[in-house]
Amino acid sequence: MSLDDDLAAWAAGVRLPDDEADAIFRRIIATPVPVPGPAAVPSPAHAAVPRLAPSWWGDFSAGFAARMIDSTRPVRRAA
Amino acid sequence: MDSEAEFRRLYQAHRVAVHAYFTGRTGGHPAAADLMQDVFLRVWQHLDELADLSEDRQRAWIFTVARNLAVDAYRLQHTRAAAEQALAREPARTPPPVSTAVLAAERAAVVGEAIRRLPEQQRVTLALAAAGELNSTEIAAALGVPAGTVRYRLSLARRYLAEALGHYDDQEEER
Repeated sequence: MSLDDDLAAWAAGVRLPDDEADAIFRRIIATPVPVPGPAAVPSPAHAAVPRLAPSWWGDFSAGFAARMIDSTRPVRRAA
Repeated sequence: MDSEAEFRRLYQAHRVAVHAYFTGRTGGHPAAADLMQDVFLRVWQHLDELADLSEDRQRAWIFTVARNLAVDAYRLQHTRAAAEQALAREPARTPPPVSTAVLAAERAAVVGEAIRRLPEQQRVTLALAAAGELNSTEIAAALGVPAGTVRYRLSLARRYLAEALGHYDDQEEER
């Protein structure tokens, strides 16, 4: 026997039998194919998230700085 | 598009090679069959995408999925033990003995054991060629390596198998 014959004998032993392959085929086609939803309707995971106003960070920083400066001033005594 | 007919065409065209690939990666039945089923389940779920591709690109797509599944650490861990046992007992479906069949079965077992000892890259390449019925160019496309690399791996694997069979023949003569 040649090496090719030996390899062919090995391959015949490990190859998936047709009846098992058919059973796998039937199991797969019994699986429902996911139908993509309409593109206009976002999924919950990708729903639009409300965004902050572009000026938010500037306003916040300015307000924070002003309060810090105020906090370092001596308290005015009541007259 | 007739989905079932298109899927059947892809399944018939590629199932033998995909199963051979997993035989090389995992050792064989039943792990290879499970992984093959996973690959074709994805094919079924992405049939619309695949239908527009050329045959070469369909094969590349299918084997990319196969490679991704094969490197899944859990799956490999889960299947490796079964794989070793499966290869050790192959060929399980060899027809019942007559004298030449016994000899052939023994040699096939020697081949199977030698294949199990090959480095994984050589084992997968050889499985795709011998059991998957793919040529060097098709194996190269499936594995994403140059065709020359495929031929080199096949050459090394065949040399190793020839040596293993040579040892077996020598032992048989001494008996």
